[in-house]
Formats: sequence, C-alpha cells, structure tokens
Amino acid sequence: MNADLIVSIAVSAIAYGTPLVLAGLGELLAERSGVLNLGVEGMMLMGAVTAFFVSQTLGGPGLAVLVAAIIAAALAGAALALIHAFLSITVRVNQIVSGLALTIFAGTIGLSSYAGQVWGVGGQHGVHQLVKLDVLGLSDVPVVGPILLNQDAFVYFSWVLVALVTFYLFRTRFGLYLRAVGESPRSADAMGINVTRYRYVHTIIGGAFAGLGGAYFTLAIAPIWTDGLTAGDGWIAIALVIFAFWRPDLLVVGAYLFGALSSLGFTLQTHGVQLPSEFFSSLPYIMTVVVLAAASTTLARRRIGTPAALGVPYVREES
Amino acid sequence: MIAIERNLVTPRWQRVALPIVSLVMASIIAGIVLAVSGHDPIGTYQQIYAASFTADGALTATFIYATPLLFTGLGVAIAFRMHVWNIGGEGQLYMGAVGASGVGLLCGGWPLPILIVMMALGGALAGLAWALIPGLLRAYLRTNEILVSLMLNYVAGLFMYYLIYDSTSFWRDLTSSSALVFPQGKNLLPSSDWPGILLGSFTLPFGFVLGAVLAVLLLALFRFTRFGFEMRVMGDSPAAANYAGMRTRRTIVAVMALSGALAGLAGASQIGDFGHVLDPRGLEQAGYGYTGIVVAALAMYNPLAVVIVSILIGALTNAGFALQGPTFPIGLVGTMEGIILFSVLGGEFLGRYRIRFGRAPARAPGLDDEPGAEVAP
Amino acid sequence: MDLRPAGVNPTAANSATAGAPPAVAASGVTKRFAGGVVANDRVTFEARHGEVHALLGENGAGKTTLCNILTGLYRPDEGEIRIDGKPVRLHSPHEAQAAGIFMVHQHLSLVDSLTVAENVVLGWSRHGGVTFSARTVEAEIEEIAARYQMAVDPKARIWQLSLGERQRVDILKALYRGASILILDEPTTVLTPAEIDQLFSSVREMVAEGSTVIFISHKMPEVFAIADRTTILRKGRSITTLDIAGTDARQLARLMVGHEMSFDVHPRAAGVEPKPAPAQPPVLALEGVHVRGDFGIDALKDVSLEITAGEILGIAGVSGNGQRELAEVVAGLRPFTQGTIRIGGENVASGDPRDAINRGVANVPEDRMGTGVSPNLSVAENLILKSYRSSSPHSGPILLMGRAETQATALMARFDIRAPGPGTLVRQLSGGNVQKVVLARELSSGPRLVIAASPTRGLDVGATEYVRGVLVEAAKQGAAIMLISEDLDEIVELSDRIAVLYEGRVVGVVEAASATYEHLGLMMAGAAS
Repeated sequence: MNADLIVSIAVSAIAYGTPLVLAGLGELLAERSGVLNLGVEGMMLMGAVTAFFVSQTLGGPGLAVLVAAIIAAALAGAALALIHAFLSITVRVNQIVSGLALTIFAGTIGLSSYAGQVWGVGGQHGVHQLVKLDVLGLSDVPVVGPILLNQDAFVYFSWVLVALVTFYLFRTRFGLYLRAVGESPRSADAMGINVTRYRYVHTIIGGAFAGLGGAYFTLAIAPIWTDGLTAGDGWIAIALVIFAFWRPDLLVVGAYLFGALSSLGFTLQTHGVQLPSEFFSSLPYIMTVVVLAAASTTLARRRIGTPAALGVPYVREES
Repeated sequence: MIAIERNLVTPRWQRVALPIVSLVMASIIAGIVLAVSGHDPIGTYQQIYAASFTADGALTATFIYATPLLFTGLGVAIAFRMHVWNIGGEGQLYMGAVGASGVGLLCGGWPLPILIVMMALGGALAGLAWALIPGLLRAYLRTNEILVSLMLNYVAGLFMYYLIYDSTSFWRDLTSSSALVFPQGKNLLPSSDWPGILLGSFTLPFGFVLGAVLAVLLLALFRFTRFGFEMRVMGDSPAAANYAGMRTRRTIVAVMALSGALAGLAGASQIGDFGHVLDPRGLEQAGYGYTGIVVAALAMYNPLAVVIVSILIGALTNAGFALQGPTFPIGLVGTMEGIILFSVLGGEFLGRYRIRFGRAPARAPGLDDEPGAEVAP
Repeated sequence: MDLRPAGVNPTAANSATAGAPPAVAASGVTKRFAGGVVANDRVTFEARHGEVHALLGENGAGKTTLCNILTGLYRPDEGEIRIDGKPVRLHSPHEAQAAGIFMVHQHLSLVDSLTVAENVVLGWSRHGGVTFSARTVEAEIEEIAARYQMAVDPKARIWQLSLGERQRVDILKALYRGASILILDEPTTVLTPAEIDQLFSSVREMVAEGSTVIFISHKMPEVFAIADRTTILRKGRSITTLDIAGTDARQLARLMVGHEMSFDVHPRAAGVEPKPAPAQPPVLALEGVHVRGDFGIDALKDVSLEITAGEILGIAGVSGNGQRELAEVVAGLRPFTQGTIRIGGENVASGDPRDAINRGVANVPEDRMGTGVSPNLSVAENLILKSYRSSSPHSGPILLMGRAETQATALMARFDIRAPGPGTLVRQLSGGNVQKVVLARELSSGPRLVIAASPTRGLDVGATEYVRGVLVEAAKQGAAIMLISEDLDEIVELSDRIAVLYEGRVVGVVEAASATYEHLGLMMAGAAS
C-alpha cells in the first residue's frame, strides 16, 4: 500500500468516524450512569435534520449559522433523550422497549422524516458547510498534515470532547460519582449521591451528543437531508460502547476503525478493486457482529467494563 | 407528597383498558403535533379512518398491511416475552421473502396446496436460519442479541439488493429488455398466488388467516405445554429456570428460531399473498419488521391481542401510504407509532402502580424478611 | 431546649457526661408500615457521648427500623429525634450524615469496582472542588487507619478485599467524614473471632475520643464484651435500658424474649437413633473437588466431604469462604474443575443441574426469591418447577394444570403455606411462605440429598422453627442434609457433624456433640484444624 492510500483511508476514517465518536461518547455517558438508551439512531436523525434546517433557514455569517445549527441539533437530541430518561428513570419502564420506541418515534419514518417534510428541506442543497481548516498552515506536511492538521473544526471539537469526558470520568469527583451510580446505585444513594439526577443529566447529555453526531452528517459529510441518512450509525455507536469496554479512549479507536471500514469500499473501488458494492457496504455491520461476539467472550470471562446496574431501574427501599 | 405504590395484582380489566387508553392518549398527542405543524387534526383523523376502513377497497388495503404485521408482531411478542430481544424481524422477513420466492420460482406449476406449504416452509426456514445467528451467539457466547439481530437487518437488506440489482442471480429477471435497464425480480407464475378469501368487496388474505391460526397455536403452546412452561419461567426468572434444570440455552435458541420463523413467514406471505416478486425496495420501505415491535408492545405481548392490534396498526400504516403527501407525510406514521408506544409504556406503569397523593403508609420491607434478606450476588 | 435528666436509668458509667444532653435520643418514636405492622411502638432510647450502647432484640424486634429512623432513611409517624438535645428532622441519610450520624449496614454501602480511596470520598470530600487527588485521599485514609488500627490498602479495589476488610472500609468512610455517632448493624456476623477483637479495639478507641457507638446485636457475649449500656427492644417496643455492669445474660435473655428462656437440650440429641451403620455408602461424596469462583480464582480447593443417609452435615464458616460455591457445585449450578462428586456411589456431571435433580438432589437456595422461585408464576406452577418434566401433573408435552393445582392444594396444607389459593403469585407471599413453597417442592419429591443454604435467614421466629423442624424431619426420613449457615448456633443445634470452610478448604470436620464454640471459632479463623 502506498502512502496515498493510507492517507485517504485515514482521512475518510475520521470523516465517517466522527459521528460515531460523538454519538458513542454520549451513549457511554448514559450507560455509565446505568441507563441504556437504544434511541441513538432516532436522536442522531433528529439532530441531522434539525441542524440542516437551521443552517438552511438562518441568515447571517456562516460561522454563526453553523454554531446555531450545531446547538439546535444538540438540543433536539437532548429533548428526545429526556423522553427516554423520564420513561426509564422516573416511570421505570423496560429500557430496551423505551429506547426502541424512541428510535421508531424519531427514526426513518418518524419525527425526523416528518420534520424534514414540514420544514421542506428534503430536496435542498446545503448552503453552509463545515470547512477543512489549515491548522498552523501545515496541512501540506506529508501524511500527518492531511490527517491531523486539515480537518474541520467539528473534528477537533470531538477530540476535545473525548479528552474532557475522559478527564471527567476518571479525574473528577462527579465522574467518580457517575461511575458509582452506574455500578451500585444503592451504595451511591446511601452516600448522598442523587441517583435520579445523575441519570437524568447523563442521559440528556448523551442525547445532546447523539444530536451532534447527527449534525455532522448534514453539515460536513454531505450537504443534503434524506430520510434515514444515518443508516444504522446510531446502532453501531451503541455496539462501539460495548467493545470499547465503556472507555472513551478505546471508543475513539473503534469509531475510526469503523469509519475506515465504512469508506473502504469506496476507497478500494477508486483504486481498482472489483467486488460488489453491497459487500463493502455490509462490512461495518458484519464486523460489528464479529467484534461483538469476540468482545462478549472477553466480557463473560472477566467481568470488566459493564456498569453493573446497566438497564436496571433504581428503587429506594422506601419512597 | 406524592407516593407511588406497587399494585400486587393487575386487574383483568386494566389489561384491556390500558391499550385503549394508550391509543386515545396517543391520538391526542399526535393531534397536537399535527396542529402545531399546521395540519387539521380532526380532518386528518377522518381521512385516516376513511383511508383505512370505509373508502372503496380501504379495508382490503388495511389487511395488506396488517398481514405482515401480524407475523412480525407475533415473532416479537414471543421473543420479548422471554426477554429475548430479537429486533431482527426486518432482516428475517427479507430472508423469508428471498427463501419463499426462491422456492416459488423453483416449484412454479406445482399443485397450489403443496406449493403454499413449500413456500411457507421456505420462508419460515430462511427467517429461522437468519435468526439463529443472533440466537446461537446469545445462547453460547452471551453476545448482545439486540445489536447482532439489528446489524443483520442491514446485511439482509444489502443481500436482497445484491440479488436483484448487482448480480445475475436466480431471483433477477434477465429476460425482458426493460428489466436490464431497471433491474427487477422474476415474477412467480400467476398460479402460485395464495388464494385470498372473498367476502363481498373485501379480500381477506390467506396469510392473515394463517397468522391468526398461528396466534391461537402460540397461545396454546405458551399456556399448556412443557415448552411453554419453560419459556414462562425463563422469561420471568432465568436464574430459577437454570436452577430447575431447564436447558436455558436451548430454550433461547428455540425461541429465537420460532421468532425468526414467524418473521420469515411474513416474508413468504409478502411473496405469496401480495407481491409475487422479490422487491427489495418495497420491502425495505415498508419496515414491517420494526413496526412488529409496535404491534407486539401495544398487544402487551399477547398473541391473540396481536391479531387485533395488527389490524389497527395496519390501518395506520395503510393510511400513511395511501395519504402519503403534503397532507399526511409518511413520517407521521412512525411519529404516531412512537407516541403510541410511549403511551403504552407509561400506561403500563399506571397499571402497575397506584399514585397516591398525601402521606402514604410505607411498605414494610422488614415485615417478614429483614433488609438483610436481599442477598448479595 | 429539652434538658430532662438523661437516661431512663441514670448510671455512673459515664458520670462525666451524665448531666449533658445525650448524643442522640429518640422519644416516643412510632413507625407503622402498610398492612398495619407497627415496627416501632413509642420507642424511647438514648445514647450518650463516649459510650457503646447496645440495641438488643430478636429478629423483627424493631432494631433496624429504629436505626433507619435515626439515619433518616425512614421518617417516624410519631415521636421526636434529638441530637445533642436539639430536636431534628432527618429526611435522608445524607442529612443524618451531616449531623454526624453514620450507619454501617450489614449490606455495606460500597461500590465493588472502585478502590478503597474512591469509595471513601464517594458523595463527600474534605477538600470539595471538582477534581480529586487519589494520593491525598490515600494518605488521609492511611492516617485514620493507623489511628484506629484498621489496616487496609487504600489502593485496593473492593472486590479484592475480604468481607472483614470491606466492613473496615465502610467504618473508615464514616470516620473520614468525622462521624460522632456510629451505628453498627450486627457487625460481627461476617467476622472471624480475631477480626471481632480488632473491631472491638477500634470501637473502644472511638468512644475514648468521645464518639458514640450504637451496636445492634442479638448475641449476648458480644454485648458483654463491648457495650456500656443496652436498650432492649421486643416486638417494636423499648423494654428498658440497663447498665451492662449491673446485669447478666439470663436477665437480658428474659427481657428479649419476654419469658424465661428454656435452655433446651440439643433437639437432635433427644431420642435420636445411634448413627447409621458405617458400612452404608455415603449419599454424597466429594473427593478433591476444585471450583473456580466468580473472579477466576479457586473458590473451593481440594474439598473432600461425605454425608450419609439420615445425617445432617453442618457447613460452618465466615461467609465468603466458599459456602455458596459448595452449594452450587453440588446442585450442578457451577462446574468443578478437578475431583469427583458422587451421589449414591455414581459420578455426577459437572455443572449440570438437571443431572443433580435426576439423582435426587433437592436444593433450598440461599437466594430464595431470585433463584428458588419464579416470582411471577403461581404457587402451583412453582411447585411443579422441577417435576413438570416427569411425574404426575402432566402427561407428555402437554401440562395438565388442573392436576397440578389439586396437588398444590394438598402441599399447601401439608407445608402450612399461607396463600389465598394455588393460583396466587409467589411474589405476593411473605418471605416465610416463599421459603415454605421452596421446601414443599424440594422435600415432597423424596430427595436423597438436601442442600439447605441459609434456610432461615431473614425469617421470623415462627418460620425459622418451622423450617428447622422440616429439615430435621427430612433427615429422619433418611435424606442426607447439607446445612450451610452463617449462624453458628443453628449449625451446632441441628447438625450431627460440622465441617468448617476457610478460604475454600475444609479445615476440619468435628462431631457436633463434642464441638466447642471456641474450637469452631478458631477453625473459622483458619487458626486451628
């Protein structure tokens, strides 16, 4: 393989991996608090359509419009996550069913599609798009330049978020409390930690991150809105959290690997490899199954990573 | 102060009332969504009702959508009840359609009763095989079946596309010239159509009858057989099932297989009852596998209730496609389904708990068992 | 401010503080639960600064409820709580902690996957702020640990620690936060005699500094060893408060039970046949059995045991020394890695519960609600949980529930299961009745071997007696019984022989008739064999 191919795979790995990083990071936070949210796909789609709508409708300088679009996407994701938080934390319904309901509600033929129709953004071509930055003017440096120094601001923002979340989880008191809530809500409660509040906050932040991940599709990957354009990335993000063993650093690695896989077919075809396109398209999904199966044997052998109280509603002895 | 108390027994009437109340609540909330987005809720509902039931041919159309939902709903109900989260009904349906159309094409011209059995078997076995992947992985490696079954939906979808659009497969029509420009599947012989039951102007699809019979059989299986007993114990308490010497892994695989076979039958019925051709795009757009989750949840995972609920959700889906356009965008279908699900989930809670206002006497955790009785793992 | 003379029985035990308001006091506290149960009925109680105050009472006497009120977990329906003479209303454990009251529950409030240091700062840190420095906290913990002689590695994760060490972490947590009133809920159940001594010296250190320790117990010798005064609860009422120096065990026992204790002879000793002839092959024989525990370490090492028909073998030991794994491996719920297990002379399959059941192994599991029954199924269905595969209530693959219900009704009468009918869901039953459902199912099958793990834990006095009687009866019928219990009294009372487990090994097997508590205690601590 030549350097060109490596660079082009790495660049598209980052492009396709960025939504996975963001959505996965959000799901990681929610799951660390003990809430399993299967609504990521729906929240991403809502984020994508909302960001696109705002960026198409709002006037003003491009940067301001994009920032507004990104914030709106985060709010859309957070609003949906609030529904799941209420049902799974307060009402204590089955989190799997509630998450599925959220994805159906907001998914491909749900609210995101309806919003796209009502807002009429279906056939439009994006006006404002995130542009690649030339960091320190060094984007021409071979290999490192195009990969690390020539990305859009959102990519750098996602890196900052990963660092922040890692620091938060392992170096701050609140991160410690969060881990305790996901592991043993009873103990956390006994120590005066507000289990309900922690779960709400992190489920909602998780939704906001998923919204951001969705926004990256319409603001950076392709300047259009079509129903269901995330094509299962929300689900892959959930799978990533599992095989990252609930650790942000591994999550990033996994997300970029899947990003590379998603773009592999396209990259290889441009380099003259002839195989059915469906084969390449199905690679990320097949790899998810393979890696999940591999990870599950590790998980079963040594109980690592999985928050012990994941998916279990917390009820105090006496209300 | 508001206190929430657990009801120990759910009265029977609540199990009927709950889905109804949920539907009413969902209609109100969806009405608000409609009004907010500039539609007339009452008018839209009238349109939905007409398009689903009263208009010319509407009821027949409703059953076209209800039939696959009946199968996928049963598949989900049987699995979810056991806490086996098969959300791969979509892919299992695709594989069922591939299997049934393959069999139908191979055995074209055979006597219809035999052909129906063959096609149904072909669909059911294909769906079953596809469901075995997440089933075996879950049972023997404890791999999360939600994600595996879901990933396989995409793979099955792409496989269908490959068969029709990107290969010269047995399923693809390679004869006519137009089919080479616009790829499409081979049509089954007209003599392979499953016979609908004509009731005046209304056609009851053969598949729906088959599904209804299966629903009754499933209920009997659940209530009266050893296998059903094992399923109920496993669904309630896997630890107790293991303790009682039940083969929990085999039961998980069996339930997954059954669930996949039902979804596969939905695919077979798509070919035999309605499409008579493998149409990847149409199947994918319909999303019957996912909607099966809505059906099962609203039916509270009861097979007989699935029969009725599949008609209701079939009506809604029918309206979604019939009215598709600016007055009733397709996205509203999923939105309303989501709201229905949320209402059912919230309503289930109201059934399980009583909300008391004012100070409630607390439950006694130390009544007979001291708090220490809760045993640490 | 309420300045009534402190104490129902003013004593000279702590004359220096006798005039000051008590550290914590409850007056006229009543707590009712749904269903009309009055867990606390006008309870009056007070503990002074610098004393160890024992709360003594039988299971269900209201000790835990009272302490849950003192720590803000429950709110009293009537009555008043005062801290240092000031009336307070505590709405949560957190508020109680802010007031200096901490409770170390039997169920420790620890997060297994976190380190000791992380657990200690959970919910509260001396330094506040957003970040926390593990190094600072570790140093602080070491300092406190040294002062109270409670050695523990602050970097260790909780799951790596023994139960005794875990309890120390929970106490350290309270001390780190400056607890002035510490409530210990039956702290000695999970400790070896040596660990108990160590705990007591730490407790003495605390009260010497003016703190108050409230010590919940029903064990007389401990109360005499550590407490200054004691308040006795019986059926939710506070009976009296006494100076330990001025009382004796007999008086306390009488007050606890409400009538003179009849110190019964060993119930099995009266009228028991001589031991079965040794020629008879053992019903259960383990030889060199190794079993892997949850974290991949061997939980049982080279265990060899035999139980003959009609014999009750008690398994004693501090909890967490392999008892659970022993019960599970014999029941087929956990595989063994080495050795053989024979039932009636035949080898059993490793990790196959059905094989064990078919060979006549009955299992009364420790976690009765989570494992022993399917809570959302009916009593009748739970009674056929194992027999549905073979015997009468059904024929072929079809279940005949009508017959199962008839059979259930008979069993309900025979085993005194109080439920409205065979169709009642098991989760609606009380703990005692759930245990009776388990016993009815397990014992009515005519088992050769009965595994009973903590069969009376959490049950009231009546149900406890009933369960013990049923087990003894089963032994008389010829079943071999493996009785696992943390309650040494129960083991000594019921068993013919006693095997002691320590760190996964059988350290000794003794005849119950000749066993002494001292010797058993030493074996449980791994100090004798």
